Amino acid sequence: MTRRGLVGALALGLAAAATGCDGDGGKPKPGPSPSTTPSTTTSATSSPTTSPSSGAPYTLRILAGSELQDMQPVLEDVRKATGVTVQLSYTGTLDGAQTVSSGKADGTYDAIWFASNRYLRLDQSAAGKLLSDTSVMLSPVALGVRSSVLGTLGWDPAKTTWSQVGAAVAAGKLTFGMADPSQSNSGLSALIALASAFSGAQAALTQDDVTKAAPALRAFFTGQKLTSGSSGWLAQAYQRTAQGGSGEMLGALVNYESVLLSLNRTLPSAGQLTVIRPTDGVVSADYPLTLLSSASAAAADAFSRLTAELLRPEIQRELSDVTERRPVVAGVAPGPGLGSDRRPELPFPGSRAVADALLAAYQNQLRRPSRTVYVLDTSGSMKGARLAALQQALGQLTGAGGNLAANGFREREEVTLISFADDVKWQHTHQIPADAPQTALAAINTDVQSLSAEGGTAIYSTLEQAYQLLAQQQAATPDDRFTSIVLMTDGESNEGASADDFTAFYRKLPAAGQAVPVFPILFGEGAKQQLQGIADLTGGKLFDAMTGSLDGVFEEIRGYQ
Amino acid sequence: MRQRLLGLVLALGLVVGVVVLVVQQHHRSPGPAPQPTATAGSIALSGLIGSEKNDFFTADQVQQAFRAKGLTVSVRTSGSWQMAEEAKGKPYDFVIPASSVAARAITTPITTTAVRPFYSPLVVIAHQQTAQFLQSNGLATVDGNGIWTFHMAQYLADVQRQLGWSDLKGGSLPPDLAGKIYIATTDPNSSSSASLYLAVMSYLANGSQVVSDQTGIDRTAPLLHYLMANQGALLASSDQLFRDFVAGTGKPLSWTYESEVAEQAMKGNMPGDTVVLYPDIGITSDHTVVELTPKADALAQALLNDPTLINLEAQYGFRPTADPQKMVAALKTKGQDHGFLPNLTSLGSQPPPPTTDILQKIVAAASPVGSGN
Repeated sequence: MTRRGLVGALALGLAAAATGCDGDGGKPKPGPSPSTTPSTTTSATSSPTTSPSSGAPYTLRILAGSELQDMQPVLEDVRKATGVTVQLSYTGTLDGAQTVSSGKADGTYDAIWFASNRYLRLDQSAAGKLLSDTSVMLSPVALGVRSSVLGTLGWDPAKTTWSQVGAAVAAGKLTFGMADPSQSNSGLSALIALASAFSGAQAALTQDDVTKAAPALRAFFTGQKLTSGSSGWLAQAYQRTAQGGSGEMLGALVNYESVLLSLNRTLPSAGQLTVIRPTDGVVSADYPLTLLSSASAAAADAFSRLTAELLRPEIQRELSDVTERRPVVAGVAPGPGLGSDRRPELPFPGSRAVADALLAAYQNQLRRPSRTVYVLDTSGSMKGARLAALQQALGQLTGAGGNLAANGFREREEVTLISFADDVKWQHTHQIPADAPQTALAAINTDVQSLSAEGGTAIYSTLEQAYQLLAQQQAATPDDRFTSIVLMTDGESNEGASADDFTAFYRKLPAAGQAVPVFPILFGEGAKQQLQGIADLTGGKLFDAMTGSLDGVFEEIRGYQ
Repeated sequence: MRQRLLGLVLALGLVVGVVVLVVQQHHRSPGPAPQPTATAGSIALSGLIGSEKNDFFTADQVQQAFRAKGLTVSVRTSGSWQMAEEAKGKPYDFVIPASSVAARAITTPITTTAVRPFYSPLVVIAHQQTAQFLQSNGLATVDGNGIWTFHMAQYLADVQRQLGWSDLKGGSLPPDLAGKIYIATTDPNSSSSASLYLAVMSYLANGSQVVSDQTGIDRTAPLLHYLMANQGALLASSDQLFRDFVAGTGKPLSWTYESEVAEQAMKGNMPGDTVVLYPDIGITSDHTVVELTPKADALAQALLNDPTLINLEAQYGFRPTADPQKMVAALKTKGQDHGFLPNLTSLGSQPPPPTTDILQKIVAAASPVGSGN
């Protein structure tokens, strides 16, 4: 994941360098070339002394949250005004935090820009690498309730509390989608607001508050029908269903106010969302643009030009209109859709221990458990390094080789591994118990390490078998679980059922079957078209492990399971 | 021969080219440079400052005023208490933390008396509705000139009883007030404004005595820890705290520099219902120039004595040491002086801060367990 971000950044850097050359080509070319050398030296030594409002063209490399893609039009205007090109390399909040605290960001990026630095700053080694934070906009995490459902609940959106929301969900009157709090700031912010409301905490959360809120949280999360690794995908999934695509139509979405309002622009009227900022308190993202201490003087100069421009009233106005986030500069009114009545802003936990305890409780005790099928291609082409990479990535989710990854297998999860080539070689199902999960985790790892590569590739036939297996499992234990399939392959289907056969098979599945998404992973010579088709058909998402590490992709998918 | 001549011409051409480019470089600097010769011989200085001074230092007019004094000044921002660490091994000429207490934590080979060119009292900001609720509950009063005073003794009493906002029975509770009563601050481990808050709260909790020993630290630690722990994760800079307030998602009471508020008022940019409350037992941020190289003295003297810079300091919301009333006078000419105290001497008592060493121990004792300290 991190490596993929890095490669992406490199590619972008090359592109920027190329355009930079084009730009220079426009200036008067004649004149002896040595003269450019002294001039660049002069500008290099004098650049730290120039004023922030203008200066030489510079490309700032920023590690950023994926939801900042909507800032592109604004950043283009900023570039025209300041000469500062912002090169965003997208990653998740959690991955970004790891990249910074491990030191991998030093020298690779000049700055970071995520929805919040609060979780990151709880880690002292990461906090020491941040120089200055400048909040450039705000968006509270809110609840978007489908307007038709809202009518049946009888709520006044201006006066609704989390407790009311919790009661409606626990009574089975409301379902919702929410991003995984271990991977997404919107999910974590919502979890903090919910835990505060349900525990009646009067200040920043403590371990006691988390314990106290647990029963109400567990009841609340029975209504969570969709999870994702990012707030953006969650919105897309809702949109797809609202427009008649696959998936269960949700009653509500937990997401940034800005995402909910932007989503409404393209939703059909039946899917429109009413934004509720619960009156008992919200946690807002403040998007701090943050210079890394490792940044060069020239980068620091470009950084201050960039932030000064982003805080100019005209740009603040523009970004509120374009992205539906709230301006942070006095005198700039928020966009028309943004309610101006105030809400209590709830504190973010003050220690890593409390934040991590809350996350661990969510994953292992509070959320609905998962039922996960891994369909693993062990055809001949996987022999050698590829199989080793697969074994390493899956083994990591069991905690093999030291510490259990933050997004490893969870307590109460049911994990099935299917090894296939031209046919299914074997399939094993493991139940991870609610306590003492180590034995089950070790057994999964033993299976993973026993994989061996040989034979052709029958992707579609194997997927059909996976769906049939899930139907049996669902019938045998009709418990309420997040159910999904991960498909890992390095080739294209050359045996068994065809793509058309599979589509026909899928369409005939009962609703419970069609609700199961496939998350294909593109690896080796994987056939992108086939895999994208499978993701689109089933409401899943294609993950690319061609340019990055398989470890990172396997962890990222955990947010969707 | 002809070839050699051509070479000479080319070489001369090169030199001329270089000169022209260098001159152009200077002319591209923002604003017309009135005395191009002054910039040619200017002293380049770089330093670390607190974020609350960034707008001032990077303003075109301020940069111009520096150039007129033969100085080219570049800055980076950092929390006041991070500056000692941040400046280590880097070629900075000066650092300007927001207080003399933080300044004393920075080692420098320069032994001249530190210059404090301007200062700013720490204030509490709130929305109008909140201020009225405070007034209904004995936490604040407003005088005939619209100047609000925050009553620290009442605040101390309320937080010692660990009251919540809903425990206050006067007036009607504003919608954004929930949970325990406390003033939101930045992180005292990095930021000067929050450490000055702990300085004044430790004085109050210590029976109106400046804390000067371990006994005092132990006596005041539980209350200070309560005030910090309630807040959860703390913001790194006062600038961020203020922006959250402006955006309407801040905490009901925020502890910040008067200069941050005054700078926005000067631009006519204050949210209409902002109230500035002056604590009756308060503390002042005395921005202190710590010179790290001999070159920096020229900057310190310019900030202290240059009339143009003194004017600009006032324009950016600071109270210049040489002319403390200039700031509110400047606000008055813009019709924005409402709610700003013209003369700080009419404030209640201003206890001195503890020594640097004691204040650092107070901050450590107040910091929530698990925040990494």
